[in-house]
Amino acid sequence: MKQGIRAEWYFLLGGLLLFGGAFLATQFLNRYLLYILVLMGIYSIATVSLNLTNGYAGLFSLGHAAFMAIGAYTSTLLTFPLALREAYELPMLPAFLGGPNFVWPFFPAICMGGVLASVAALLIGAPVLRLRGHYLSVASLGFVVIVTTLAKTMKGLTRGPMGISAIPSYTNIYWTYLWLLITVYVIWRIVNSRFGRAMMALREDETAAQVLGVYPMKYKLMSFVVGAFFAGVAGGLYAHFTKAIRPFEFSFFLTFQIVVMLILGGMGTTAGPIVGAVSLLTLRYALKPLEEHLKIYGLIEIIYAVLLIVVMLFKPEGLVGQKRGVKKITVGGKSSA
Amino acid sequence: MLKVENLTVKYGVIPAVMNVSLTVGRGQIVAILGANGAGKTTTLKAIMGVLRPASGQISYQGEDITHMSPSNRVRKGIALVPEGRGIFNRLTVEENLLLGAYSRSGNDVIMKDLKEVYALFPRLEERKKQIAGTLSGGEQQMLALGRGLMSKPQLLLLDEPSLGLAPLVVRELYATISRIREQGVTILLVEQSAAVALGASDYAYVLESGSLKLSGKPEELKSLEDVKRVYLGG
Amino acid sequence: MFSWSYFLQQTMNGVILGCIYALLALGMTVVYGILRLINFAHGALITVGAFFVYFIFFRAGINLAASLLLVLGFGGLMGLLLDVIAYRKLRGGPEVALLITSLGFYTFVENFMKMVVSPQPYSFKTPAYLAVMYKTSLLTFRSIDVFIIVSSLLIMFIFNLFVKKTRMGIAMRATAENLEVAHLMGIEVNRVIALAFALGSAIAAFTGFLWGAKYGQIAYDMGFLTGVKAFVAVVVGGVGSIPGAMVGGFVLGLAEILSIAFLPTRFAEYRDGIVFGILILVLLLRPSGLMGVKEEVRV
Repeated sequence: MKQGIRAEWYFLLGGLLLFGGAFLATQFLNRYLLYILVLMGIYSIATVSLNLTNGYAGLFSLGHAAFMAIGAYTSTLLTFPLALREAYELPMLPAFLGGPNFVWPFFPAICMGGVLASVAALLIGAPVLRLRGHYLSVASLGFVVIVTTLAKTMKGLTRGPMGISAIPSYTNIYWTYLWLLITVYVIWRIVNSRFGRAMMALREDETAAQVLGVYPMKYKLMSFVVGAFFAGVAGGLYAHFTKAIRPFEFSFFLTFQIVVMLILGGMGTTAGPIVGAVSLLTLRYALKPLEEHLKIYGLIEIIYAVLLIVVMLFKPEGLVGQKRGVKKITVGGKSSA
Repeated sequence: MLKVENLTVKYGVIPAVMNVSLTVGRGQIVAILGANGAGKTTTLKAIMGVLRPASGQISYQGEDITHMSPSNRVRKGIALVPEGRGIFNRLTVEENLLLGAYSRSGNDVIMKDLKEVYALFPRLEERKKQIAGTLSGGEQQMLALGRGLMSKPQLLLLDEPSLGLAPLVVRELYATISRIREQGVTILLVEQSAAVALGASDYAYVLESGSLKLSGKPEELKSLEDVKRVYLGG
Repeated sequence: MFSWSYFLQQTMNGVILGCIYALLALGMTVVYGILRLINFAHGALITVGAFFVYFIFFRAGINLAASLLLVLGFGGLMGLLLDVIAYRKLRGGPEVALLITSLGFYTFVENFMKMVVSPQPYSFKTPAYLAVMYKTSLLTFRSIDVFIIVSSLLIMFIFNLFVKKTRMGIAMRATAENLEVAHLMGIEVNRVIALAFALGSAIAAFTGFLWGAKYGQIAYDMGFLTGVKAFVAVVVGGVGSIPGAMVGGFVLGLAEILSIAFLPTRFAEYRDGIVFGILILVLLLRPSGLMGVKEEVRV
C-alpha cells in the first residue's frame, strides 16, 4: 500500500506541473500552437484508452471512432443552447431534453457521453468477446460503420451529413489535461491492480490463465467498456473543442490514426500512447505546410501507413516499449524458408 | 542410422532438453521413456527439424542434418507421427494418406505404397472416403501410422503412439509396429507407459527433466529398481 | 406493391453482388484459415485491380481478354510480393501484428491511389458488347450481368477443383487445419501460404474489374467497405470454410439487396449498417457461421 500512496503523490505532482505548464502555454504560445496542444491532449486520452483494450487486454478493437462519435454527439446534444435547439429543429431529441430549462453543464455532459459509449461497448462486447480470434476487430469496425450510418441518417437528432455546428466551446487546455490526468490515473490503477494482472495473464496465455481461475469474458468486457468510456470522453472534448462535428469525421480513418499512435508509442506501456499521440501530431502539423504547398493531399496518411508498417516490421515494441521475451515458439516458420 | 550428440533445445531461455546424446541403429526399435515434461517430444521434434536446437549435432546416415529443413528431412526418409496423432480431421482418410507422400514424386509408386498401407490397415481402405475426424481413436492412430509410412521413411519417429488407446488396441498397434520394422524401417518411439514400450524395443533411453538418466537394453532396465518404481508402477 | 418481376430483378442484383462477395471471400477465408489474419489488404487489391483494367483497357487499348488475364497476373504478383516482403517476416509473432500490418497496407494503397490517380471517382464505361440490354417479361438484364455470373461461377468451380483435387490444394487445406503437422508432412508451408495470397489477390483484382463494369464507377476508396463486407461474408458462411465463404457471399449479397429493395425507401441509406447488423446477429446467434466448424483453440 505504501507504494500506492507514493505513486499517488507523483500523480498529484505531475498534475500540478501539467497545469503550471498549461498556464504558461496560455500566456506565451499563440493560438495555433495552443490549438495543437489541446488536440494532443484529446488524442492522448483516446490513445491511452485504446491502450487498455488493445495493449493490456490483448484484444484488438477498431471501434474507437464509434465510441468517440457517441461521446461527441451525446455531450453536444446535452449542452446545446436552448435558442439553437429551436432553430435547428431536432424532432428526435427526447422531449425531456428538448424542454425549456434543461441544458447540462459541461462536466456531467462529457461523463454522460462516456457512459453511453460504455453501454454501446457492453452491447457489442457481450456477444463478440465470447469468441476467439479477431472477431472483435471486424465487429468493432462494423460498429464504426453502423454508428456513422446512423449519424448520417438520423437527421432529426444529428442533422445528418451536414453535422452540428455552433457547439458551445467549453473545451480548453485545462479541461483537456484534467481529463487526460484522470484517464491516465484510472487506467494506471486498473493495470496495476489484481484485475490488471489477471488481464495481462490472459493476454499472455489464455488457457493457462483460465486454469488459474481467471474468467476471460469478465476481464475482456471490462477493459473494452472502460476503454470505450474514455473514448467517449475524448469524443465529447473534441466536439466542444472544434465546435462542429460531422459524421465523416468519425470514420474508420480516425480509428486508424489512434491505432498508429498506439503502435508507434508502444502497446501495453504507460507512456507509449502519449508519446505516440504527441509525436504523430507533431509530425502531422510539421508536414501540413508542405502538404498544402505541394497540394498532394493524402501524403500524411501515406506517411502514417508507412510508419505503421515499418514499426511493425522493425520495432514492433514501439518507441517506448521494451522487447518482450520470446515466449511463443515459432512453428518451424523460420527454418523452412 | 541416427546419431544425436549433446542436443540442447530451449524454449526462449528455458532449456527443455539438455545435452542429450543417443544413437539408433539400422533396423532397431529404440524407445525414449520418461515422465510428462521430461523432454521426449522436444527431442523428437528437434530430430524432425521443427524445433531448432540451441546446440548439439544431429546426424542421419552419416550426414549432418542439424540445420536441414523439415521438408528436406522428410525427403531424406525421416517421418514423425506426432503426439495426439495430428490427423487432419477435415480431410478424408485418403487425402491424409496422400499428404504423407507429399514430398515424393511419381504417382505410380505412391499408388503402390497406398495399396501396401491399405493392406497393412484394411480398415483404412474401407473408410478411405470418410472424413478423418469421424474415425475412432484406434483408427486414427492407424491412419497416423499409415500416413507416416506413405513418405516411405527409413526412420519413423513415433510420439506417444499408445496415448489414449484401450489396452487391446495398444497390443494390436505394437504388433503392427513390429511388422513395420520387419519391412526394414527403423523406429524411434517415445512413450510414457514404459511397460509396453520396453516389451517391444531393442534399446531404451530414460529422460528426466530434460537430461538423459539411464539407457540400456530393456531387460537390463526392467531389472533396475528405480525404473520399476517410477515407470513400471511396480 | 409486391410483384414477381420486381422480386426476380432484385434477386438477380443480389446474386450478382453475392458473386462479387463470394469471390473476395474465397481468398480471405483461405488466408484466415491458415494465418488467422483478417487481410485488410485484400480490399486494396479490388481498387488496384479496377484501376489497372481502367488504364490498360480503356486508356492503353489492350483488348479485354488480354486485360483480364493481365489483371489476374498483376493481382497475383501483388499478393505474392506482399506476403514475401512483409507478412512472412511477421509469422510466428503475435497474430495481431499481421492484422495491423495489413491495415497499414490498405491505408497506404488507398491514399497512394488518392494521391496518384485522383480523389474523384472515375467513370468506368462498360464496353458496348457487355452493355447489351435484354428484356423479357419478368427480367431485364445486360450482358455484363451474365458475364459476372458465369465468370464468377467458373472461378469458384476452378478454385474448388484446385483445392479438392490437386496436391497443392490438399496441402493448402491441411495447412489451414494444422500448420505444424503440415510442416511435418514435408509441406513447404511458406510456399503454400504464398500461393494462397497470390490466388486470393488475383481473384480480388479481377473482382475489381467486375465491380467497375457492373456499377460504372471506381474510386480510390472502393475497396475498403467491399473488402470488409467480404470478410463479413466469410464470418456468415463460417470462418475458414471454402464452401462457407461462397454461401456466405451469396447470403450477404442477397440480404443486402433484398433488404433495401423491400424496406421503405428511406432505409436505403442504412445499407451498410444493415450488413454489419447481420454480422453482429450472426456472431450473436451462430458464431461458427452457416457452414463453419468450431474454431479450434490454438495455443
